[in-house]
Amino acid sequence: MTDRALFEAQVLPHLDAAYNLARWLTRDPHDAEDVVQEACVRALRYLASLREGGARAWFLTIVRHASYDWIEQHRDRDRDGGDGGVEVAADAESEPAQIAERRGESRALAQAIAALELPFREVIVLRELEELSYKEIASVAAIPIGTVMSRLARARALLRQSPVLHAIAPRRSGGER
Amino acid sequence: MSAGAMNCAEAVLAIGAWCDGELVGDAAAALGAHVAGCAACRAEQAALVALRDEIRAQAPRRVAPPALRARIEAEVARAFADAPAAAGPAAAPARAASAGAAAALPRLRTWWTRERRRWFAAGALAGASLAVVVGALTGVVARHWGGDDIAVAAVDSHIAATLGGHTITVASSDRHQIKPWLSARLDYAAPVVELADSPFVLAGARIDRLGGRPVATLVYRYRLHVIDVFVRPLADAGDAPAVTMVRGFTVARATGAGMEWRAVADVDASALAAFVERLASEAEAAQPAGR
Repeated sequence: MTDRALFEAQVLPHLDAAYNLARWLTRDPHDAEDVVQEACVRALRYLASLREGGARAWFLTIVRHASYDWIEQHRDRDRDGGDGGVEVAADAESEPAQIAERRGESRALAQAIAALELPFREVIVLRELEELSYKEIASVAAIPIGTVMSRLARARALLRQSPVLHAIAPRRSGGER
Repeated sequence: MSAGAMNCAEAVLAIGAWCDGELVGDAAAALGAHVAGCAACRAEQAALVALRDEIRAQAPRRVAPPALRARIEAEVARAFADAPAAAGPAAAPARAASAGAAAALPRLRTWWTRERRRWFAAGALAGASLAVVVGALTGVVARHWGGDDIAVAAVDSHIAATLGGHTITVASSDRHQIKPWLSARLDYAAPVVELADSPFVLAGARIDRLGGRPVATLVYRYRLHVIDVFVRPLADAGDAPAVTMVRGFTVARATGAGMEWRAVADVDASALAAFVERLASEAEAAQPAGR
């Protein structure tokens, strides 16, 4: 298979996943596009390291690195920007009907996720939206599986503390801990 | 993990794994038994399921805008198609096909260079503060993007290998197995060092390309980290800082036994620098007898 055929058959099908991850990590639609483009350049460069069956996790790993590079380089700007507004604008622009329907809720939950710190946000996105296995998440995020589990648990606890989700808040004084 | 009774603290983690479809066999049975008799954990389980459903129902999974997809597809097509044409007048068609793939990279890279420049300018400030931290640790400051291309290439190789989970081509903790394997594939004899009484454990090796040439990559494990050590003749290597940070990875360099040793890992700079120094000096010490 030529490089081009390989890229088109193995990498391009995961463009949505790539964009989704970049979008949640950078929290900006235009930046996510830049990151995905950069990730494609890198994916072509690393194409030789792609192995059968692992294309999605492989590509998402590259996307994650590109996202982190972007975040590192734009930290100052990001601080000025503020988070919430970005997500709100984003909802209005790209996803139509079914989300607009319950926009109030959707916006609030999306904001709760967007407000998570990166290590927690990425495991939630990879697990809940991309439905990656622990093993795949461990590979993409370069952390042990035990860390995947503890970060997911922490991320979920944080989301449950969010006011929008009071209905499923963590139990108050259970026997654990 | 022992079978049998599970307490609430264990159950909380297990419930998460269960929700994620990751809990099987005995562990799943143990959780089931615990949940059956524990109302609090039953409620916890229901709450996590509800949270998962809420997230999937409400947090949008974004899809790539059609314009982005079209742009990438067009660029890929153009990069691969343009390359052979640029190769020269009436190149042999058979050769043009493979040349196209190879030439596509520079093409795409040029396309991206402009963007990168913009990024780097914006990142200069962040890079500077990072360098201060590293400098405080090691006394040697290297600027992140400051032209140490080999460090960047080494990190790229490290990432490319670890992300696919195929860091090791020949798995062995015995240098007497690794050394001949490497020598058979390289035009130089790379020293292979096992460190006694060290948390850095030799795990294997592979061949990478660095600076346009095949090089030996020794793979060590340190706690949960994978460390790649690129070993190449000093004659091929220019001078470079002892420690460089590239995209959050530490690249530590030492010289010894006529080789340049570059270690790459997400390990803190002082530990990695000490490790690579020790590798180089032990190789140097072993040299006269080992040859």
